[in-house]
Amino acid sequence: MKPFAFTKAESLPKTLSAKKETTQFIAGGTNLLDLMKKHISQPDELVDITSMLSDKIEAHKKGIRIGAMVRNSTVTLDANILTNYPLLAKAILAGASPQIRNMASAGGNLLQRTRCPYFYDITTPCNKRQPGSGCSAVEGENRMSAIIGYSEQCVAVHPSDFCIALAALDAAVVVTQSNQKNSTIPFSDFHRLPGSTPQQDTNLPANALIHSIEIPVNDFHKNCAYVKVRDRDSYAFALVSVAAALDLKGNTIQEARLASGGVAHKPWRWYEAEQYLKGKEANAVHFKEAAAMAAKDVKPLAHNGFKKLMLQGAIETALQNCLTT
Amino acid sequence: MLFFEDQDSITTAAEGRVEGIAKVTGKGKYAAEYTVENVCYGALVGSTIAAGSIQAIDVTNAKQVKGVLDVLTHQNKPLVPGFADETKIKESRFGLPVFHTDKIFFKGQPIAIVVAETLEDATYAASLVEVTYTTEKFVVDFREAQASTPLSMAGKERGSMEAWSDAQNIVEAEYNIAAEVHNPMEMHATIAHWISQDKLKLYDKNQGVNNVQRTFARLFDIPTDNIEVISEFVGGGFGSGLRVWPHVLATILAARQVNRPVKLMLTRPQMFTAVGYRPQSWQKIKLAADKDGKFLGLLHQAQHSTSVYENFNEGITRIARLVYSIDNLKTESSIVPLNLSTPTWMRGPGDCTGDFAIESAIDELSYVLKKDPVELRMKNLSLEKSPDTGLPWSTNYINECIEKGAARIQWSERKALPGQVKEGDWNIGYGMAVGMWNAGRGNASAAIQMQKDGSLTVQTAMTDIGTGTGTAMQNIASEITGISKQKIKIELGNSTLPPAPSQGGSTGLSSISGAIVAVSKALKQKLADYASVQDEVYKNATTEDIILSESHLSFKTNGNHAIAYTSLWETHNLNVLEVEASSGPGEERQKYSFCSSAAHFCKVRVNSKTGKVKIDRMVCVADGGKIVNAQAAANQMSGAAIGGIGMTLMEEQKVDARVGGLIGNDFAGYHFAVNADAPLIEVDFIHKPDPNINPTGSKGLGEVGIIGCAAAIANAIYNATGKRLRDLPITPDKILLA
Ligand SMILES: Cc1cc2nc3c(=O)[nH]c(=O)nc-3n(C[C@H](O)[C@H](O)[C@H](O)COP(=O)(O)OP(=O)(O)OC[C@H]3O[C@@H](n4cnc5c(N)ncnc54)[C@H](O)[C@@H]3O)c2cc1C
Ligand code: SF4
Repeated sequence: MKPFAFTKAESLPKTLSAKKETTQFIAGGTNLLDLMKKHISQPDELVDITSMLSDKIEAHKKGIRIGAMVRNSTVTLDANILTNYPLLAKAILAGASPQIRNMASAGGNLLQRTRCPYFYDITTPCNKRQPGSGCSAVEGENRMSAIIGYSEQCVAVHPSDFCIALAALDAAVVVTQSNQKNSTIPFSDFHRLPGSTPQQDTNLPANALIHSIEIPVNDFHKNCAYVKVRDRDSYAFALVSVAAALDLKGNTIQEARLASGGVAHKPWRWYEAEQYLKGKEANAVHFKEAAAMAAKDVKPLAHNGFKKLMLQGAIETALQNCLTT
Repeated sequence: MLFFEDQDSITTAAEGRVEGIAKVTGKGKYAAEYTVENVCYGALVGSTIAAGSIQAIDVTNAKQVKGVLDVLTHQNKPLVPGFADETKIKESRFGLPVFHTDKIFFKGQPIAIVVAETLEDATYAASLVEVTYTTEKFVVDFREAQASTPLSMAGKERGSMEAWSDAQNIVEAEYNIAAEVHNPMEMHATIAHWISQDKLKLYDKNQGVNNVQRTFARLFDIPTDNIEVISEFVGGGFGSGLRVWPHVLATILAARQVNRPVKLMLTRPQMFTAVGYRPQSWQKIKLAADKDGKFLGLLHQAQHSTSVYENFNEGITRIARLVYSIDNLKTESSIVPLNLSTPTWMRGPGDCTGDFAIESAIDELSYVLKKDPVELRMKNLSLEKSPDTGLPWSTNYINECIEKGAARIQWSERKALPGQVKEGDWNIGYGMAVGMWNAGRGNASAAIQMQKDGSLTVQTAMTDIGTGTGTAMQNIASEITGISKQKIKIELGNSTLPPAPSQGGSTGLSSISGAIVAVSKALKQKLADYASVQDEVYKNATTEDIILSESHLSFKTNGNHAIAYTSLWETHNLNVLEVEASSGPGEERQKYSFCSSAAHFCKVRVNSKTGKVKIDRMVCVADGGKIVNAQAAANQMSGAAIGGIGMTLMEEQKVDARVGGLIGNDFAGYHFAVNADAPLIEVDFIHKPDPNINPTGSKGLGEVGIIGCAAAIANAIYNATGKRLRDLPITPDKILLA
């Protein structure tokens, strides 16, 4: 690891004005330290933001606000979340390990970087790590890679589970810019597709901070599920994951939400399938149709053709689980 | 050096592991945890290409880092006498002549070690070493290279292949297994300390201190006794510590160069290329039976990878000759050199791989024959003699393992046809397979030191890699001497103690138990000799006549002709009574063949929508002869079974043919099974001592716990789904696409 200076942020204005390109914020450090150890991030200075950002979960009329420093495990224990937004807890519990969830912050979770194996190996070309060097995965080992929304320059997938649930629930990210002004970015616009600039994962402005995450009030708390298919049952990233949520009246679907991880460079919403489910009876036939609708657009790579079948199966399972769990 | 030092831990540890308290309190020291005065730190630099040679190494920037003491490369290393020329390098059989060549054989090959005052300085400086290479063509794709590598005979052919060429019931199939890494929890580490010009002390993670000692005595041409190797606590090995690896030598050379003790701990990614792995393999089976299920013939062909600088052959077809009586048998194999580091023995080496193919093929044949796979196996077992050596088995209770396992899992619940039982999206099925392992034994020595308060210290150089060796030693010593476990201390894992073989190949307990029995008897004999001066009755006493208690020895029955140790010690002016004894295999090896065996049964559920496999139940019944310590033995079995689940469902060391090396070589990329992937493993034993193998009658268990697991699970998946999966690991994608 390259030597670096370490400071504890004292005040927001000072922190923001002192932030340089070679400075990096550190929250839980569960991703950043690994990136530093592997020489992927090489900051000159780390600014510890843990005591400067909110670690509160606050309910208000329009929804709930999760401070950027709320630990991932805190989200899974919060009574309000468990009652009204259980999908968030389900998704977080499907990821990482208890130790990591205890350290990881909500803000950091949104900014964790892809798990593409080449990204983590500095001896291989990778456009995301080193723009212009090429993409090793596009014609290499791409079993874990994207099946939709990718470019020739990068086929990596977004790794978070939490973010899939946030995408499904139409969350928004409140950011504090370097001029100390807050602005809100809808969740669907927060993460980017790779295009020709895969080095940029998100639309978070340079030197800005994540302040909090807003989740609007919804009626999905009774019927929601998170399915994560992975190579082992704990402590593994998703091959394919699905966050599903249904707002039911009797057995009729008023609204449906479907989002996936492990398929694209950002949490992916299956809008067409959601639209299809609206007004339908909640049953296996419709679930199957919705799943097929989502899967029809995907374009797998050489080694991940299975993801199409898996996606379909996972969507059906998740929708089914909405009715039972 | 003691496993436990204070009185408290002695009294409480006896029921569990002798080293348990030291381990959980952090008091026990693993190799990297020793504090050595004036120590400095090493960090390895690995090559970034797979084949070629080093043109230049520029260490200027690395040396600028504050705290860097030196950077060793092939250009400035101190010469190892054993590597003086090409012939010596070959003869040394060390494998990679680290820092004694400019050739690159694989990506990640250590080409420099940076030595610095702190680990941080060393690691950072290592990232600044600049290397230019001349690159050459490399081969890392096993599948591609394997197809063009010819096979040759592996062992003698039995009968003929023509004899069963017109057999009616036949299966023919190919099986592939991905490379797997051991990656024990404790990463390999070494502290090398040159006490003087020709005296070396090593704190090192390995499975055999005497092996390490001998290796470096030869390489440096110094007397074996000048080298002390300490490996008192070993955090798992699985075979990775059976060889002496280049990084240990690199550390020793660094210590020599900077004239200070040097500590090196491999990083997790380095663990994937530095200490071996189970090689990737291909197999083909052709197996036939008559209509009653009697096996007519078996053709077993196998290939696995090795490195370009060393030949490693783990003997995949060995198991084909072990379990069943088959009149017509042919085994062929070859190894396939790749630009990867050398593979090595990993739990159940060879047999575990070969067993997957054979036991899968037998299952396939059972469906062809419409016969129960349990019955089919029972019909063909070679229970009287080893089909390979022709010698009678000393003991072989594999049939009892099968019967006991079948009863436990309720095998009768299994449906004869696949895909019959469904619960929602889950298909449920049962599978089984057997495993066997040649039960070996080596020469081992042990010593006992007795104090006048009746307490014993039992010593051997053998390591305890988590297998419970120390605990078993305590159990045996207590049983033979009669002295309670609370009063018996164990010292092991140090080359200054009586020599013993490495802990591996399921021979550890089999070897050391003989020595412990011998030395315990020697102790009794010595006490009797001293006692005979005070009481004539002890003159011609045999060890069977003597009984020891906490405070005295007696003749025949407790209290009879009792002589207190205190009085013996006083009369003979003793301080510590010391005995040493050795024991090893003898002519019984000419009379019998020896085996350990196990039967594995499992019940799985397979999700038809997601491809997920869940193991509901796993039953493992083993014949390990006499079970010296039930807890430790069961722990060996369940650990091996979980290793087997990993091997079957997820473990895969991926190689990228374009990059020319491994990818995903960390714990995010390489998955081994965790608790969430395994049910509670149900372990049972046959509990019948082998009267000939060694004085305790116990046979090794480390390997048979995993041999057979993979086929049992794959066979259960077939029974559940009708999908026959012949390539490991069976990840959800393979289930969906099958
Ligand atoms: C072994 C392992 C397994 C894992 N498995 C999973 C899994 O299965 N599913 C899953 O979803 N996640 C998984 N994770 C990822 C884990 O969730 C993330 O590492 C974690 O959420 C990151 O949070 P952090 O606070 O530790 O971020 P840090 O590591 O501190 O920071 C990450 C990045 O975010 C930036 N940052 C942090 N907070 C802010 C802020 N408020 N404003 C602006 N920038 C900020 C940092 O500068 C840094 O660039 C795993 C991680 C590990 C190490
Ligand atoms: S997919 Fe993206 S992250 Fe992976 S190698 Fe290609 S550019 Fe790098």
